[in-house]
Amino acid sequence: MDNIEYLFAGFAVFWAALFIYLLTLQARIRSLHREIEHLEERLAASEGVTAPASRDLRGAPGASGGAPARGTTNS
Amino acid sequence: MSTLLLRVYDWRWSVLPPVTGIAMMAMIVGALVAAPREIIEGEVQRLMYLHVPSAVIMYLAFSVTAFASVMFLWKRDIRWDALARGAAVVGVFLCGMALATGAIWGKPIWGVYWTWDARLTATLVLFLIYSAYLLARSVAGPLDEQAARYTAIFAIIGVADIPIIQMSVRWWRTLHPQPIVFQPTPALPTEMLAVLALGFIAIAALAAWLIVLQTETERAAQRTSALRAEIDHREIA
Repeated sequence: MDNIEYLFAGFAVFWAALFIYLLTLQARIRSLHREIEHLEERLAASEGVTAPASRDLRGAPGASGGAPARGTTNS
Repeated sequence: MSTLLLRVYDWRWSVLPPVTGIAMMAMIVGALVAAPREIIEGEVQRLMYLHVPSAVIMYLAFSVTAFASVMFLWKRDIRWDALARGAAVVGVFLCGMALATGAIWGKPIWGVYWTWDARLTATLVLFLIYSAYLLARSVAGPLDEQAARYTAIFAIIGVADIPIIQMSVRWWRTLHPQPIVFQPTPALPTEMLAVLALGFIAIAALAAWLIVLQTETERAAQRTSALRAEIDHREIA
């Protein structure tokens, strides 16, 4: 029995779904990172001090960097 | 100890993506080239190296969601909610992949893509439970503690479907093959078992990387919400 087209379809579906998922996630990370930087600048302007950027996604796909600030997420 | 853990966690961006990439490539080569061709099912049997690890690692991802939900209800720390959501997204992705690869395998072997077999149906129910969880959680804001509490309870109840899926092939007469790997003497040749083990390593590394990535995205969303609330508060004051 030779079902190579189904084998190809199975692997293609897996990789296509993973690729789309990673692209979507990258876009969301980039947008959140930009928004955090913008909001921190607004907050810093209202305080009159320089606020640190979030470091949570530093190095992640889509993130453009940021200064260290451990535990920046609220708890 | 906690310093060591933090240092290990700091390596997540430099270690997890390359390890995942190498493991995934090794798994593909193993599945498509190195593993022997199954005589009865033919080439399509090679989908097992994606399907079985996706299904098993999906259990782990949903278990992480349930554990993080318990921790959230206990500690009331919203960071656990981010981990629960992150793991649930990855679990739903892997569940979808297990269903899709299973359906593609089913067409040439069973003659149909889908049948209301006990294991398939229970897996679809798990997919719908956690899709509903993610939908419900995303409707509320990232810092909405009440919504986080209700969805955490839902996530903990949802994980009860996993033993039902696992035992379904024993409890009911099903089309789905009986377990051949997780038993005292696996009914697979050593070459196939080795490639399957590689598949488990690859999918586990992928899931770990995606859970970290997704969780930190959820935490960033929480931070955005907190910053917006802080700015609104100051502007009103």
